[in-house]
Amino acid sequence: MNEQSTESQRPGVAISASQARGNIALKTLSLAEEKTKIAVQNLNLYYGNDRALNDINLAIPEKRVTAFIGPSGCGKSTLLRCFNRMNDLVDICRIEGRILIDGNDIYARGVDVAELRRNVGMVFQKPNPFPKSIYENVAYGLRLQGVNSKRLLDEVVERSLRAAALWDEVKDRLHDNAFGLSGGQQQRLVIARAIAIEPEVILLDEPASALDPISTLKIEELINELKDQYTIIIVTHNMQQAARVSDYTAFMYMGDLIEYGDTDTLFTNPSKKQTEDYITGRYG
Amino acid sequence: MSDTSPTQAVGSARRPSLLPAAEARQKLRRKRARMDRASHWGITAAGFGVVLALAMIFVYLFYEVAPVLRGATVTPQAQYALPTGDGRPQHLLLERYEKLGIQYDDQGVVRFFSADDGRLHTKFELPVPAGQRVTSFAAAEANGGITALGLDNGQAVVARHAFDLSFPDDQRQITPKVEYPLGTDPITIDPEGRPLLHLAIQSVTRGSGGTNIAAITEDGRLLLTRLDTRENLFTGEVEISTRGIELPMATDTPVRLLLDKTLQSLYVADRDGLVHYYDIADLGAARLVESVDAGRGDAITAMEFLVGTVSLIVGTEGGELSQWFLLRDEHNQFHLNRIRDFTAHSAAITTIAPEYNRKGFLVGDAAGHLGIHYGTSARTLYLDQLSERPLRMVAISPINGRLLALDDQGMVQVAGVWNQHPQLSFSALWNKVWYEGRSEPDYIWQSSSASDEFESKFSLVPLSVGTLKAAFYAMLFAIPLAIAGAIYTAYFMTPKLRGIVKPSIEIMEALPTVILGFLAGLWLAPFAEENLPAIFSFLLLMPVMMLLFAYAWSRLPAALRSRIPEGWEAALLTPVILLFGWACLVASPHIEVWLFDGSMRQWFTDVGITYDQRNAMIVGIAMGFAVIPTIFSIAEDAVFTVPRHLTQGSLALGATRWQTVLGVVLPTASPGIFSAVMMGFGRAVGETMIVLMATGNSPVVNFNIFEGMRTLSANIAVELPETAVGSTHFRVLFLAALVLLALTFVVNTVAEIIRQRLRTRYSNL
Repeated sequence: MNEQSTESQRPGVAISASQARGNIALKTLSLAEEKTKIAVQNLNLYYGNDRALNDINLAIPEKRVTAFIGPSGCGKSTLLRCFNRMNDLVDICRIEGRILIDGNDIYARGVDVAELRRNVGMVFQKPNPFPKSIYENVAYGLRLQGVNSKRLLDEVVERSLRAAALWDEVKDRLHDNAFGLSGGQQQRLVIARAIAIEPEVILLDEPASALDPISTLKIEELINELKDQYTIIIVTHNMQQAARVSDYTAFMYMGDLIEYGDTDTLFTNPSKKQTEDYITGRYG
Repeated sequence: MSDTSPTQAVGSARRPSLLPAAEARQKLRRKRARMDRASHWGITAAGFGVVLALAMIFVYLFYEVAPVLRGATVTPQAQYALPTGDGRPQHLLLERYEKLGIQYDDQGVVRFFSADDGRLHTKFELPVPAGQRVTSFAAAEANGGITALGLDNGQAVVARHAFDLSFPDDQRQITPKVEYPLGTDPITIDPEGRPLLHLAIQSVTRGSGGTNIAAITEDGRLLLTRLDTRENLFTGEVEISTRGIELPMATDTPVRLLLDKTLQSLYVADRDGLVHYYDIADLGAARLVESVDAGRGDAITAMEFLVGTVSLIVGTEGGELSQWFLLRDEHNQFHLNRIRDFTAHSAAITTIAPEYNRKGFLVGDAAGHLGIHYGTSARTLYLDQLSERPLRMVAISPINGRLLALDDQGMVQVAGVWNQHPQLSFSALWNKVWYEGRSEPDYIWQSSSASDEFESKFSLVPLSVGTLKAAFYAMLFAIPLAIAGAIYTAYFMTPKLRGIVKPSIEIMEALPTVILGFLAGLWLAPFAEENLPAIFSFLLLMPVMMLLFAYAWSRLPAALRSRIPEGWEAALLTPVILLFGWACLVASPHIEVWLFDGSMRQWFTDVGITYDQRNAMIVGIAMGFAVIPTIFSIAEDAVFTVPRHLTQGSLALGATRWQTVLGVVLPTASPGIFSAVMMGFGRAVGETMIVLMATGNSPVVNFNIFEGMRTLSANIAVELPETAVGSTHFRVLFLAALVLLALTFVVNTVAEIIRQRLRTRYSNL
């Protein structure tokens, strides 16, 4: 689906993140050197009696882009939703194990879920702006935090929209309904909405799968710009996308974490056969 | 798609097809096309059928209502010379069957003539003593047929015309006769024996009956004579006692003298435009009360009572017509008040003829115009040239189907009249109307009474206000419960409990409203009256109790709370509600003793609040129950169909569930909730049985929660079975139905439009 992007003219499937960034001098990435933001320890997740995640252990580095790839139903979105406890909304979902953010167990008793979700923002597959104006969409999260000063709201809205590279396109129609925007603009609006409340982690659940190639490209550029400030985790179906935007990649299959490492290595020299089969297109 | 087209398939080597043979498939295609067409036309026809059916209902209602808007039509039928002898005609009448005209002349002769062609039918000579001249004439209210002739010796002869009906050979035969209720001997009015130039008579047979005769003599004295007739029980002899007084004369130029049927008032109109009102209830204290300027400078040329002798219609030389009646002031004194004006004629009013059983009247003027006006509605139904000559007299039949008009050349015009619905006009239906005897204009619905003289009061305002009042209180009760319940059920309740609650509430909708009305009227209304403090404390304190319980629950140890699964907490409220209800009931008598001197009902009366047993509160509760399922069901759907990705988006931004409800769910579902409320309102407006049985059906105009009301729908249900088909009342009820249909149609249409917009809005999400 990325025929229009310049990178796809290069041969081969595995285009590394560094290549996607225009062949900037390759900086060697190593998990061992990174500061861990999120630690997943022995995580098991059940839907009723079915086990959806099997004993996951994972350390997600701070201020990097980590991609979860894998075939449909492999549990990558489920894992992502554990980080902001969105799985709590599913009645039959049950969790064992621990997830630590900055060393604090987010499933511990007494954790304020609303505050956790403020800190761990999320962008969904389908753009989901609220049926309000563009301005109100971005201001929504701040109003939840009790910010009502017009001046402050104006400032944050502009800053967030600029950060989401949407400001120039919407600055003249901030008070129009958000549904008037295109799908890609809506998705960037949702990202702006997420970063307006200053989270540390942003979860992206297949953020470009419903978008056209140009919009996809813009989202990917945006991810690159944001990763200096935020820890970003992205779930994607699209291996090229994972390769283009992520620093680290985790490959999941049937609820198991198969392989996890820096993106260049995983795509060019996978250590597991299942990973290789997947990235070369045998299944998935 | 192009890649399935046969051209591409031809070249490639193919496995044998598993599809049916080509002919079979073609046959299937044809069959499918037929089915397609059939369903297309079938569905189209059905759709148009529905629209047509609704349109037909409207058309039918309009068809029934339309005659109300028509004015009167007058169809000339014949013209002939009035059969007279030497005398001048004094009085012209037309009898019930519209066959015979009656004419009194100044020779003391009564002539009955065929109304069709003017042929003389019968002639009676009244017992005017030989040598006396008739100098004046008077007629009592036309229904009784009593007339009086004033003579030039100060005496008067009282007569009454009547008809005998017989049916020889199955043919109706009308035989006129003349009777003398006070005997054939002339009655002395002026003991001084001067000619009587003006005369008035009014006779009452019901109750403490009697007859008043007033006269103005040649030398300008105003005389009043009261005759009381008493029949001797044994001999059957009629004994007449007479008492005469003289009243101060207030004018030199009297035109008309009138006595009312209550035998309490005397009116004299004069050429200066004044009407002089005398209180004659007590002959010993009879006096001139006031003289009012009714002509506004013009001379009064005609004055007549409307039926019932309450309202005076005054016609002036300038052609103005006005209605007057007596009103009591704060000192309990009656005064003559100008109530309303009618479309003026272009020439002097010469004659006024009231209709027999409603408040209309016919007017003739000096330019030959005939006007048909109506008192209550102030409508002028007809005003046109009838004759080239000035009209002297007009007569209308008691059934308002035919009229006679006499011009100054002695020519009679006969005309058919259609004037079925003069009572109604926009202002009579929707504005305040000043009805006879009322101290001020008001909105009144009072459609029928036993008396012919009754003035029907067809204001739709009390009914419309009642409809809105009932709907308002029902919505006041239903909206908070239904919407809060809908939000909780759709958003917070566990799916399992929701699966029980939602269908149960929706089944409530199938409960026949007649049962709800029956319970409300016969059980709840008396129960509430007995236990008013319980009802109030329950309605007002229950929300407080619920919040208290919720707070206490949140303070309980977590171990205890976790026994109840999330989403089932609402079920815990059931015992709380029942217990609290019981406690209110037990406490009720004590509260009454402490705070309301033993009876809250009585306390209301003492502080000046009217309390009816069947009132808006009862209706609010009963009809509230009827509309809750409607509102709940639609609102619940609206909340439940708010897309999950929106609520998740809000939660993912760090909103709590409550913040999500307020910030995202309610704004998104608001059109649906609004349309639910409108649907409920539409239902409450059209609801019949509950309001019929629980409101008391009193057509009052107020929003007092402790008084009843009458709604459009209940009014139709109550009155339509007992109205005469085709009558004005019948058509007003159809008009009420039309108003009701229009109201519910508008409300439901608005609700449906909003629902459609909501649907397109959601399809974008």
